Amino acid sequence: MSSRRSGSGASRITDDQIIDLVAKLQQLLPELRNRRSNKASASKVLQETCNYVRSLHKEVDDLSDRLSRLLSTIDDDSPQASIIRNEFTQTFPIIEFLRVY
Amino acid sequence: MSPPQQPSSTNPNSLKIRLTHRFLHNLNNLNKKRSNLDNTQIHRRSHRVKLAAYASMARVVGSRRAWSRAILWKIRNRKVFTRNKRVDHKTTHHHHLARSIKRRTTNHSNHKREYVDPNGNSGQEVKLRKLVPGVETMDACGLLDETADYIKCLATQVEVMRNLVDLYSTI
Repeated sequence: MSSRRSGSGASRITDDQIIDLVAKLQQLLPELRNRRSNKASASKVLQETCNYVRSLHKEVDDLSDRLSRLLSTIDDDSPQASIIRNEFTQTFPIIEFLRVY
Repeated sequence: MSPPQQPSSTNPNSLKIRLTHRFLHNLNNLNKKRSNLDNTQIHRRSHRVKLAAYASMARVVGSRRAWSRAILWKIRNRKVFTRNKRVDHKTTHHHHLARSIKRRTTNHSNHKREYVDPNGNSGQEVKLRKLVPGVETMDACGLLDETADYIKCLATQVEVMRNLVDLYSTI
C-alpha cells in the first residue's frame, strides 16, 4: 500500500502507519480481539486501550498486595520458599510449573 | 505454523520466562531483608512488591523501549530522591515547569490544545500518554508502538504474578 498522492506524501504514509498500528493494538485488547469486524474505530481502540492499561495497573496492585501477604506467611522450610530462594538452580521445575499454568 | 520472525524479546514464552526469573530474583532480595516483609506495614510491603514488579519488567526489556527507560529512570531517581529530599524537590518543580512550557509552545504551533490525529480523536490519546510511561512527547506512531509493547509486557507480568500467587496459595 504505497503512497497514492503526488507531492510530499509524508503525512499520508504516516496515516497508513497509524492505521496499521491501531489494528495491531486492537489485537492485544481482550475486549476487541474477537470482534467479527476486523476494524474497530481508532477512538474505540484508544479508549479500550486506556481501560485495559488501567485494569492491568489495578491487577498489579491487587496481586502485589496478595503476594506480599503470602510471602510473609510462608515458612522458610516450605517448598514454596525454596523455589523463591533457589530459583537460579532450580529453573527446570519452575518452567515446567509455568507450562502447566 | 510457528512464527519464525518473532524476535526473542517479544516471544511470549521467552518473555514470560525471563520476567519470572527477574521477578523471583527481586522478590528474593526483598525476602532476604526480612524486615521488608515481616515487620513493616502491609501497604508498604505491598508497595515494595509492586515496585519489584515494575522494576522486573523494565529490567528485562532494558533500554530498548521508551517506557522501560522511563521506569528505570524513575527508579534510579527515586533512590536519589529519598536521600536528598529538599534538593530534588526543586529540580522536580523545574522539570515540571520546563515540560509544561514545552508542551504549551508545541501546542501553539498546532493551533490546538490537544493533538488531533487523522481520525479526529484527541481526549483518549492524552489519557493514554498519562498511563504509559515515557511517551509524553512522542509522536502518534511512537505512542501506539510503545503502548503495544507496554501492554504485552504488562500482561505477561500480571500472568507471572498470578502464577506465583497460585503457587503460594496452595499449601
